[in-house]
Amino acid sequence: MFARLWRHMKFATSTALAIILALSITVWGADEKAFPQILRKQVLENGFMPAKELYINKDEGLVPVGKIVFETKKLSLNGNISCQTCHLSQFGSADGIPNAAAIGGTGEGPQRLLSGAKLLPRNTLAFWGRGAKGFETFFWDGKIDFSNSKKISQFGSQPPSDDALVTAAHLPLVEIREMLDEDEFVLAHKQESVGKSGEVYRVIADNLRKFEPQASKSLAEYLRKPVEQLTYTDYARSLAAFIRSEFRIKETKLEKFTTKSEPLSAEELRGGLIFYGRGRCVVCHSGPHFSDFKFHAVPFPQLGFGKNGFGIDLGRFNVTFDPKDLYRFRTPPLYNVVKTAPYGHSGSVATVEEAIVAHFDPLRLLNPSSMEPLARHELYKRMTLGSETATTVGFLTTDDVDDLKKFLNALSF
Amino acid sequence: MRPRRRLGSLLLALNILALAVVLFYAAKELAIPTVAEWLYKNDYKELVFKCDSVMRDHFIAKTLVLHSPTDEAIRNLHAAEVGLLTCHNYDVLRKQLISFGLSENDLSRIGLEAIEERAKDVRTFVETHEIRY
Repeated sequence: MFARLWRHMKFATSTALAIILALSITVWGADEKAFPQILRKQVLENGFMPAKELYINKDEGLVPVGKIVFETKKLSLNGNISCQTCHLSQFGSADGIPNAAAIGGTGEGPQRLLSGAKLLPRNTLAFWGRGAKGFETFFWDGKIDFSNSKKISQFGSQPPSDDALVTAAHLPLVEIREMLDEDEFVLAHKQESVGKSGEVYRVIADNLRKFEPQASKSLAEYLRKPVEQLTYTDYARSLAAFIRSEFRIKETKLEKFTTKSEPLSAEELRGGLIFYGRGRCVVCHSGPHFSDFKFHAVPFPQLGFGKNGFGIDLGRFNVTFDPKDLYRFRTPPLYNVVKTAPYGHSGSVATVEEAIVAHFDPLRLLNPSSMEPLARHELYKRMTLGSETATTVGFLTTDDVDDLKKFLNALSF
Repeated sequence: MRPRRRLGSLLLALNILALAVVLFYAAKELAIPTVAEWLYKNDYKELVFKCDSVMRDHFIAKTLVLHSPTDEAIRNLHAAEVGLLTCHNYDVLRKQLISFGLSENDLSRIGLEAIEERAKDVRTFVETHEIRY
């Protein structure tokens, strides 16, 4: 009798559980079917463009020359450093360390950091999508900005090129500590003058002609001018062509989801809806590169000496001298973002998760009571001036942040 | 002998039927709601909190557009609207739990538990209970 009763109870319990399981699958399944379509619509409405449409390269023929210029240390007048030294494929086209380790070092990434290299105050930027359609604002503080009719650069009203990337390729090699050491020649030409910098560029072009004769010959042939008349801007054109080609945006999982209706995982889908919804990431990370290319103050921790010294980096203010721009930095584009750790203008956070947290709960990443008083004071200012961002970004749980990271990973290629 | 056996079979069938009915009601009224609550209680609490947050955020985003209708404010409002999908998830789970036999009282109790768990200071209690105009 008891055995029979037990069998009946087992049957009833199993039936109840089966009903629950069946109901949960059918109820959730039916309602969540609409979510992929909602996400697709959001992606398209917020400026997404397929990778092929983003690629533009007027100087495709210069890519091989540009590769040589990118890799040669002769691009540096006296610093024994090339573009490639800090833009490495194993670190997602950046260098994998918080503050860039430039001249005076050996090795790559962390090894270079420990080798006594001179440190720059900011995190090396990755190259993905640079110079592609819609990408005309360069560097953390947008010191090259051709996105409007008024072109901003350190060259005043006469930039060396109408191409923002070519103009940007003029800056690192004349930046002291970055690719230039302070020797006698540099000290004599260290003035904020286009004429003086022109002399430095002339000497760099001479160097490249001398040490890279084959590349110079190819460049001259492409441009149909004598080798002797090659200027640094010509070499910069080849660099831009190579960067455009080598670091072009490629098809991502998100693109396949959006244009070919291929599926995203449940986590990626949830992360996408957080990105375009509750998290409000899309307010700034919109457009074909997932950046509005505007400038926002997000209270990331500050690491290192800072562009303005003593752990202070005033960001965009250094370009515009407008107090409204204090502590603002360009919205980072997001293609391949999961490969380009560390994050923030000074590389102060190690993971994508922490970078997301810095937007809505910055104090979680810090221990204010153990900070130096000046650093705490600066943090207070960054947080106050970043209030616009803080009031926009939604609160996220740890699971939400994980889902968001999964979605960002769908922007990798 | 035959009628007694037939009666015995009938009684056994009635017993089984009675047991099935009892088990069905026990499952419907007790087992399924209990298991469903056990399975989905935390999800429901999370959605109570999240839906409350996104509704508040949406309201702020709307007022922001009214006061300063910039492109950014409009994008912010659109994102806040997508954020309201969280409340859709809340509605779906609520409907599901009701279909599993949880009562409105049960759901209110879980909702209050969600508020209690988040209310770690006086401010949170005030925000939850103050009258707003």
